[in-house]
Amino acid sequence: MTTSVTVRALTVRHRRTVALNTVDLDFRTGVHGLLGPNGAGKTSLIRVLATVAAPAAGRIELLGRDVGAHRERAAVRRALGYLPQEFGHYPGFTVREFVSYVAWLKEMPAARVPTAVERAVERVGLADRIDTKMKTLSGGMVRRAGIAQAIVNEPELLLLDEPTAGLDPEQRVEFRALLRDLGATSTVIVSTHLVEDVAAACQEVTLIESGRIAYRGTTAELTALGGEHGRDSDGNAIERGYTTALRAHRASLAEAAR
Amino acid sequence: MTAFVLYARSRVLPATLAVLLGAALAAAWSAWWLQGQPGFDHAARVPVVVLAPLLTASAVGTSLYTHSDELDRTAVRPWWPRRLSHLLMLTALSTALLALAVPGHPDAFGAPAMVRNVLGATGVTAAAAALLGARLSWLPMTVYTSAVYLAAPSVPGGHAAIWAWTMQPGPQRAAWAVALAAFVLGVGLLAARGPRAERRGM
Repeated sequence: MTTSVTVRALTVRHRRTVALNTVDLDFRTGVHGLLGPNGAGKTSLIRVLATVAAPAAGRIELLGRDVGAHRERAAVRRALGYLPQEFGHYPGFTVREFVSYVAWLKEMPAARVPTAVERAVERVGLADRIDTKMKTLSGGMVRRAGIAQAIVNEPELLLLDEPTAGLDPEQRVEFRALLRDLGATSTVIVSTHLVEDVAAACQEVTLIESGRIAYRGTTAELTALGGEHGRDSDGNAIERGYTTALRAHRASLAEAAR
Repeated sequence: MTAFVLYARSRVLPATLAVLLGAALAAAWSAWWLQGQPGFDHAARVPVVVLAPLLTASAVGTSLYTHSDELDRTAVRPWWPRRLSHLLMLTALSTALLALAVPGHPDAFGAPAMVRNVLGATGVTAAAAALLGARLSWLPMTVYTSAVYLAAPSVPGGHAAIWAWTMQPGPQRAAWAVALAAFVLGVGLLAARGPRAERRGM
């Protein structure tokens, strides 16, 4: 397995607030969960990795290329899939047209687009709605169309920001299976606030709080951390592990500040 | 289903073209009707020469809106050539259509004044799209035109050729200079920066 994402001393600012503070990270092939409280910096990290936002400082290497250079960035974007937390779409497009539009943005060869679009839409379970207008779809279906556009180019690096928001339990189960399938060959980074998504689909977990890395480990390690502490009434083992890791991080910060 | 068709639909270009055509037909009819009124001559076409470019520029400005700004940012190719050709093609079409709507009298309020106003209005609107966002891009030019329409002196030339450039007859050089500068700056700004990102639902 090769390292497909390398981030060194990454700092991201939104006006005067620091969203990410000198973060170092590596991601390899597989499914990685990005957990953390609201406002922790998960979306900032995903947006910078998706090359839609520029960092204030630091170095980012994606798929072996430095995204600071224009030509390199273009090459990375061909192999990148991105589902933003809120993605807009022209309401008059059908699912097929919307996914084809993104395939065009990714400069996929025109001859390959129709088949790739149908396959992506089928993988998210929307094949029967492929010629339905986006504006008539339910929230969960729009989300699935969003996932379809992210995987249409069979990306080597897939970045998903809150992908399960609006999906019903059955769709979430199917989506996690899709994630595991994609993670066999690509690097998938999933930002979520739903711990159970991570438990079911991710091999590794990165916990972010207030722009810093609070914890990194495998899903099994985080679950084990929860098994050692607390009672069942405090939630399942991975939720307890999440809370334990977060509190340990806060305690170490408070210790360092003293 | 080609990429060009998808791009054109996502930017509501069919509706924009319909507005341009409709504006040209309405301008031609209004100009003809105004001149035909008792006691009026070709100089009565001023409102057409001032208002029709405002309408086409507004349509062009709002066509720059993108629903999928966040996804568009992941495009492999740079956007500026597409934005530039989008603007230039629509400007060329509005200019040609509206110039045909006011035949004759190039030294007064005819085709040259119309072309100048289309270029100027499109430039101001494009700059507004870059600075305010595409959906509100019509606003500054509309406010400016309304103010100038009420305040411009009836005698052309002088300082008014600069601040009231839309109300000048065809050959005024200063008015042309202002309109061309607005066009070059506005189109350049929009091509380079793109329309300002607008959060949906806000």
